[in-house]
Amino acid sequence: MTIPRLLAASAFVTTMAISSAMPAAAQEREIRLSGFGAMSGVVRSFGINSKAALEAAADEINKSGGVKLGDGTKGKIVIDYFDDRCNAEEGISVTRRIASTSSLVGIGPTCSNVAEPLFGVLQKKVGDAGDSGLQFPIFTDVAIKGGLAKISEWAFRNVPDEGAMYAALFQWLKKTRPELKTIFGGVEEDFAHSRATWYAVMKEVAAKEGFEIKGEAKWLLADTNFTNQAREARRAAADIVAISAHPFTTCGMLKELGRQGVKPKLVIGLTSSSSLETLQGCAAEAEAIIIPTSFAPVTPEARAAADRAAKFNGSLDLHSGAAYEIVAILKDVIEGEGVLAKSDTVQADRAKIRNGLSKLTETKGLIGISKRTEEGEAVKPFLFVHAKGGKWEVLHNPTK
Amino acid sequence: MDFYLGLLQIMGVHTLLGLSAYVVLQTGQVSLAQAGFMAIGAYIAAMLTVLSGWPLIAALIAGALVAGLTACLVGFPALRVHGLMLVVATIAFTEIVRLFFFNFDYQIARGSLRVGPLGGEGFRQIRYFPENGWTTLHVAIFIWTVVALVMAALWWMDRSRAGAVLRAVGEDEIAAQSCGINLTAVKVSAMTAGGAIAGLAGGLYAHYTTHIEQSNFTILLATFAIAYPILGGLSSVFGTVAAVIFIQGFLVEGLRFLGDWRNLLFGALIVLVMNIRPSGLLDARTMATLRRLFSRKEH
Repeated sequence: MTIPRLLAASAFVTTMAISSAMPAAAQEREIRLSGFGAMSGVVRSFGINSKAALEAAADEINKSGGVKLGDGTKGKIVIDYFDDRCNAEEGISVTRRIASTSSLVGIGPTCSNVAEPLFGVLQKKVGDAGDSGLQFPIFTDVAIKGGLAKISEWAFRNVPDEGAMYAALFQWLKKTRPELKTIFGGVEEDFAHSRATWYAVMKEVAAKEGFEIKGEAKWLLADTNFTNQAREARRAAADIVAISAHPFTTCGMLKELGRQGVKPKLVIGLTSSSSLETLQGCAAEAEAIIIPTSFAPVTPEARAAADRAAKFNGSLDLHSGAAYEIVAILKDVIEGEGVLAKSDTVQADRAKIRNGLSKLTETKGLIGISKRTEEGEAVKPFLFVHAKGGKWEVLHNPTK
Repeated sequence: MDFYLGLLQIMGVHTLLGLSAYVVLQTGQVSLAQAGFMAIGAYIAAMLTVLSGWPLIAALIAGALVAGLTACLVGFPALRVHGLMLVVATIAFTEIVRLFFFNFDYQIARGSLRVGPLGGEGFRQIRYFPENGWTTLHVAIFIWTVVALVMAALWWMDRSRAGAVLRAVGEDEIAAQSCGINLTAVKVSAMTAGGAIAGLAGGLYAHYTTHIEQSNFTILLATFAIAYPILGGLSSVFGTVAAVIFIQGFLVEGLRFLGDWRNLLFGALIVLVMNIRPSGLLDARTMATLRRLFSRKEH
C-alpha cells in the first residue's frame, strides 16, 4: 500500500468513525432546568441545599440513562442556579432572565415574599389572551406560605401543607400528652412564612384542639437579642412554647430561654427549622424540640437521596428534599407529555410541562406518595421528628 | 429580550427613587425618608387601582400627591434639625411608615377572594399591567416616559432660578439667608417635590411587582435612594441615571453569576468608585466636558 492510499484509507476510517459517532451525540439533547433562591443572606442555607439537591437528582437521572424525549431521543438534564437574595425585585428579574433562555422550568424560590409577587407576574389563567403575564412554569420547592399556587395557573408547589401537619401534631399531643394544657407562641414577625404559620396555623389549630393561648412574643429575622421575648415566655409559664421562626432566630430564642432558666414541658418548632442548621447552631438547646416535617431519611430512597445531596455539598431536609423530588416529577412529566427540548420548541415544551403538572393527581416522593390538588399544591406525607443527641429522629409517623 | 425590558423597568423605578433624593440633596439635606414616601405612594396607588378600580395614571398621581403632602407635613418639623439629627429623624419617619403598613389591614371581598393590604403579609394581586394586556415593552416605555418627564422637569429646574436657590441653600445656608432666601420654604419645597417623586416611584413599583409589603420599604431602600445621586454626582440629573445603571445593571444583575462573591464585591466596588470619582460618576467637570463636546459637534 502506497503512502497516498494509506492516508486515504485512514481518512476514510476516521470519517466513518466520526460519522457513526455523530448521530449519538446529536441524539442527546439538553433539558435545562433553572433553580433560583436565596444563596446569600440569613436564609442562604436553603438555596445552597436546594441547589445541591437539584444537581444530585439530575446527576442520578443522567447516570441512569437520561430522559426520554417525545421523538425518542435521550436528553440530559442540565441544572443552573441563580441567587435572588430573597428579594422580590431580584426574584422577578431572575425569572425573566431564566425565561429568556432555553430553560423549560423555574424551580424556586426560597422565600414566600418572593413567590407572592413572582406568581403575580405570571399569567393568571392559561390561555387568557387578555392577560399578558409571563407564561413560564414555576415549580416551588421552598416557599411554604399557604395557598400561594392559586395565584397563577403557571405556578406549582411541592411544599408540605402546614395546616394539616400542625393539626395532626396538636391532635397527637392532646391524645398522648394530656398534661399539656397551655401554649405560648414566639414568632419571627417579618418573614411571611413564619408569621403566617403562627397566626394562621399554629395558633388556630392549638386553640381548636383546646390548648389555652397564654400569649405571644415577636421578633425579627435579623434579631440577635431575645431577652424580652424569653422574659415574656417565662412570665406566661406555659406548658408548650411554640417557636415559629427559622433556624437562625430559633436558636437565638432557645439559647435565651435556656439562659433565663425557662423550661417548658415541650418546645415545638417551625417546619423549616427541622434542618441541619438548627442542630449546627444549637443542638444542646434544641434537644427534644418537636417539629413536623415532610422529609426524614426513613426510606431507602430518602437515605440514598440524602447521600447523593451530601456529595454535592448539600444537606437534604424538607425543602431540599422537595427540590430533589421536583426533578424526578419533571422527568416523568417530560416523558409523559412528549417534550422535545429543541431550540425551536421551548415555549411549546413549557406549555406541555405546565399541562402535565396540572394533570398530576399524585406523585412519588422520597418518604411516600404525595397527593396533588387542582390548585397546584401538594399534600405531602409527613412525620414528627425531634432533636435527640444532635440528630433529628423520627418521633411519630401519623400515617402508621 | 423580556429580561432586559424587565431590567429597564427596575432601573426606571430606581432612577425615580434616586431623583427624589436628588432634589432634597440639592438643599444640602440628607433624607432617609424617601423609602417611607415610596411606601405611601405604593400603597395608595395600588389600593386605588385594585380596590376602587381607578385608572393607573390617576392612581399614580394620587399616590404622588399624598406622598408629597406627607413630605410637606413631615418637612416642617423634620427640617428644623440639621445634619445627623435630620438623618435620624427621617429614619424614624421611614420606620413609622413601615410599621404602619405592617399593621394596616384593609381588605374587601371580590368574588371568592379578599383583596387589599393585609398587614405583615402584604398586598397581593396588584395586576393592573397584565390584566390590561400591557406587555413588558409597554410597561418599560411607560415607566421611562414618566422618568423622562421627571428628569426634564428637574433639568429645567436646575437651570432656573429655583435650581439656583436650592443650590444656594445647599452650598451655604447663612449666605443664602442673608440674600433673603426663606430657608424653611426652600427646604420644605424640596422635601415635598422629593416626596411626590418617591410616591410616583412607589406607585410604579407596586404595579410592576404585583405585590408589596412593609419589608420592601426599609432603611436599606432609603440608603439606596441617597446612594444613587451621591454616587452619580449632584451636578446633573443624569448622574443619578448613571449610578442606577452602575448599581442595578452592573453590580446587581451583571455580577449575579459570581454568587456569594457578588455581595462582597458590591460594597467594595462602590467604595472604589467613590474613591476614584469622589464627586460622583458625572461630576461638574465631566458634565462641562460633555457639554463642550456636544457644542463642538453642533458647530
